[in-house]
Amino acid sequence: MLLEVIELTKRFGGLTALSDVSFAIGTGEIVGIFGPNGSGKTTLLNLITGILAPSAGRILWKSTEIQGQSPHVIAAAGVVKTFQNPQLFLELSIYDNVAIASHLRLRRQYGLRRLAELLPWRDAARHSEVMQRVDRILALCRLDSVRERTAAGLSYGQEKMLGVAMAMMCEPDLLLLDEPASGLGEDEIRTLEEVLRDLRGAATTLCVIDHKVDFLARVADRAIALQQGLMIAQGAPAEVLHHPRVIEAYLGRHHARA
Amino acid sequence: MKLLLWVPFFIFPALVQSNFILTIFIFSFILAIAAVSFNLIFGFTGQLSMFHAAAFGIAAYTTSLTVSIFQVSFWVALLPAICFTIVLSLVIGSICFKFKLRAFYFAVVTLAFSELARLVILNWNNVTNGTLGLMVLDKPSVWLPVGGMVKIDGAVGWYFFSLAALIFTVALCSLVLRSWIGRCFAAIRLNEDLAQTLGIDIFRYKLLSFTLANALAAIAGSLYAFYTGYIEPNYLSINQSLDIISMVLLGGRSSIIGPIAGAFVLTGLPHMIDLSGETRAMLYGLVLILTILIMPQGVIGTLATWRRAA
Amino acid sequence: MLQLLVGQTLNGVIVGTLYGIIALGVTLTFGITGIVNFALGEFMMIGAYVTWYMFDIAGLPYPLAILPAVAIAAGCGFAADQLLFRFTRNNLINGLLVSIGLISIIEAAALVLWTTTPKDMGYVLSGAFRLGAVSLPKMKIVVFALLAAVMFLTYAALSRTWMGRAAYAFSQNPEAAMLMGVRTEILQSGVVVYSTALAGFGGALYASLYSLEPAMGGLYILKGVEAAILGGIGSLIGSVAGGIILGVTEAVGSIYLPGAFRDAYGLVFVVAILLYQPAGLFGTER
Repeated sequence: MLLEVIELTKRFGGLTALSDVSFAIGTGEIVGIFGPNGSGKTTLLNLITGILAPSAGRILWKSTEIQGQSPHVIAAAGVVKTFQNPQLFLELSIYDNVAIASHLRLRRQYGLRRLAELLPWRDAARHSEVMQRVDRILALCRLDSVRERTAAGLSYGQEKMLGVAMAMMCEPDLLLLDEPASGLGEDEIRTLEEVLRDLRGAATTLCVIDHKVDFLARVADRAIALQQGLMIAQGAPAEVLHHPRVIEAYLGRHHARA
Repeated sequence: MKLLLWVPFFIFPALVQSNFILTIFIFSFILAIAAVSFNLIFGFTGQLSMFHAAAFGIAAYTTSLTVSIFQVSFWVALLPAICFTIVLSLVIGSICFKFKLRAFYFAVVTLAFSELARLVILNWNNVTNGTLGLMVLDKPSVWLPVGGMVKIDGAVGWYFFSLAALIFTVALCSLVLRSWIGRCFAAIRLNEDLAQTLGIDIFRYKLLSFTLANALAAIAGSLYAFYTGYIEPNYLSINQSLDIISMVLLGGRSSIIGPIAGAFVLTGLPHMIDLSGETRAMLYGLVLILTILIMPQGVIGTLATWRRAA
Repeated sequence: MLQLLVGQTLNGVIVGTLYGIIALGVTLTFGITGIVNFALGEFMMIGAYVTWYMFDIAGLPYPLAILPAVAIAAGCGFAADQLLFRFTRNNLINGLLVSIGLISIIEAAALVLWTTTPKDMGYVLSGAFRLGAVSLPKMKIVVFALLAAVMFLTYAALSRTWMGRAAYAFSQNPEAAMLMGVRTEILQSGVVVYSTALAGFGGALYASLYSLEPAMGGLYILKGVEAAILGGIGSLIGSVAGGIILGVTEAVGSIYLPGAFRDAYGLVFVVAILLYQPAGLFGTER
C-alpha cells in the first residue's frame, strides 16, 4: 500500500470536518474520492499534503508517518497536489512555470552537489535536459501549442492543465487532483480523462477528488464516498454509486432504494 | 552583451578631472551595492525588510572597531563584520520566517530589530561613542601587480575600488538569481502556497535571501565607513533604510542593475542641484510618491517595457 | 517608592491615550482601506503646530484654537486621500511607501515653517491635583478626559449607528457591502479623513502639555502602530487598550531600567506579541 489513511479526524473549533476516515491507495491505482460540498474532501486533501495537521489519526506514506509534516517535505517525499482554483506563477511564461516546478527533480538528482549548478556553464548544460522534460510534460498535458504564452493568457481549462503539468514536473509517486473537472466543458473533461489515463500509464498513482460523479465513475478504479466528514462507502465505482447511503446523500432520502 | 555597459565606467576617470564628480560616483557605487543587495530580498523574493540599513550600519561599526581595537587590516576586519551580520540575519530571519509573519508584520519586526540595534549603538557610549560617532582613520590596502601593497586613498583609487566591489556584488547576485535559487525566490514572491506544494522550502530560501542581502549590505557599510572616515548611529536609522528602498523603487525592482540607476539618481542629483536640506527632503518624498503611483516598475523597468513594446 | 509607581502609572495612562488615539486611526484606516498610514504622526504634528499658532500667536482661547487645528489636519488628510491614498487601496506596500514619501514632504515643510527650535505653548491650565504625595497636573487630566471621550464616542458611533455598521460590514466583506448599497468610496475617504482628524486632535492636546518639534510625528506614529498591533489591528478597543498598556509599560519600565531604552520596550513587546499572538490581545485577524 502506497498511502494509508488511518482513523483520520480533523476538528476546527466546534466543527468536525473529518471523522475517523480510513482507506488505502495502492500503487498504480486511480482512486476517486467524491462527496457533496462540505463533505470534507478538501480537508482530507490538505491533511494528506501537510497544509493541515490532523486532530487525530495517522497518515502513512510508504509505511512512514507523514501527518503534520511541512508541505514541502511531503512534496519531496513524492506526494504532490493540484489546486482547485488553479494556482500559477502568473507573471511568468508557461515555460518558466514548469521550470520552477523542476526544483524537486534537481534536488533529487544532485543533492548537495547542486550548489555546483550555480556555475553558469553547468546551468546552460542542464538547460537542454530541462527543456526536453518540459516539452514532454507539456505534450502529455496537451499544452504544447501554447508553450510561449504567459501563464496569465490561458483559458481556464488550460490553467488547470498547467497546474497538472507543474505537479507532474515534481515526478510524484502520488498525484492528488483537487476538483480537476470543475468548471470544464464536456470536451475538456474528455481531454482530462485521456491525460489522467496517460499519467497512470507513466507510472503515477492518482487520487482524484471531485463532486462530478459521472466523471469519477469513468476514470477511477476504486471510489470512496464522503459525506459530512464521514466515509459512507468504498469499492468499485458502480457499486458505490448505487449504494443507498450515497444516493441518499446526493439526492435525498426519497430516492434511496432499499 | 550587457558586460559592455561597464566599460564606460572604466574610462570615465580619464575623461573627467573633477574630484567632485568622482566623489559622487564613489558614493553612488557604494550605495548601489546596498541597493542591489536590498533588491534580492525585496524585488526578487518579495519581502519588505526594514533591517537593511541596520546591517549596513552594524557592519560599519564592527569593521571600524575591529580595526581600531585589534589593529588589523581592513580585509581582516571585514570577516568578523560579515560573519556577525550573517549570524544576526540567521537569528532574526529564523524568528520572522519560522513564525510565518505576513508581509506587513515582517516589515514591522525587522523595523523593531533595526531600531533596537540603533538604540544599542546609540547608548553604548564606551564602545561606540554614542551620538558623537566614530572616526575611522585607517584606509584599506590592496595588492596591485604594479607597486605591491597600495593604500586606497584619493578619489581615483576609491573610484576603482568601489567600482570593483559593485561589479563583484552584481556578479554574485547574477549568479544566484539566474540559477535555480533565483527561481525559488521568484516562486516565493509570486505564489508562496504553490511554491510549497512544489517542494520548495519557503523558510530556507527566505532565510537565504535575507542573509545574503544583509551580508552584501555589510560590505557596503564597511566601505562607506572607511571612505567617509566617520560613522554614526544614524547609519542605522529608518531614513537610511528608506533611502535604499527609494533607490530600488526608482531604479526598478525587477532587474539586477535597476537599483544602480536609482542609487545614481538619488545620490547624484541632490549634489548637482544646490538645494537646502529641507527642499531635498521634499523632492525626495515627491520622487518616492511619483515612482509608486506613476512608474511602479522604476526607470529601468519602464524603459524595458517601452523597448519590448516598440 | 509607591508614589513613584503610582505617579508613573498615571503618567503612562495619559501618554497611553495619546498613543491610543493614533492607534485608533491606524486600526480604522487599516480595517477600511487596507493600508497603514504612516503619515498619521505628521497630521498629529500639524494639529499641534496649528494649535500653538492659534493659541500663542493669534491669541485665541484654547478651545477655539483646537478647532482650526483639527480642521486643517482633516483638510490635509482629505487632500492626501484624494491625491495619494485613493490609488493605493488595499495595497499595503504601496500605501506604506506613499505615506512615507508624504512624511518626508510634510516634515520638510514643517522644518521650513517652524525650524527645529522647539515651540512651547503657554499654559492653558495651570495647577495640579494632589493625591497624597502624587501630583498630577490638571491639564493632563483634561487631556486624558477629552481623548477618552473622543475615543468612546468613536466606538459608540461605530457600534450603534448605521454608518458604523456599514463600516463594519465593509471591513468584513467589501463586495457584499457594496452590493448592499454601502457607498464604499465615501466610506474609505471618510475613514482616512476621520483618522487624520483624530491625529490632529491628539496633536492639539499634545501641544498643551509638551514642547513641539517637527520630528514628533515620527515618534508617535511608531508608538501608534505598536499600540495598534499590541491590541490587535482591527479592534477599536484593542487600539485604546494597546496604547494605554504601552504607555504604562514605558513609564513604569523606565523606573527600573535605563531611560534611554524606553523606546525599546514597546518594540520588544510588539515582537513578542506578533510571534505568539499575531492577532494581538483583542484582535480578530483580518
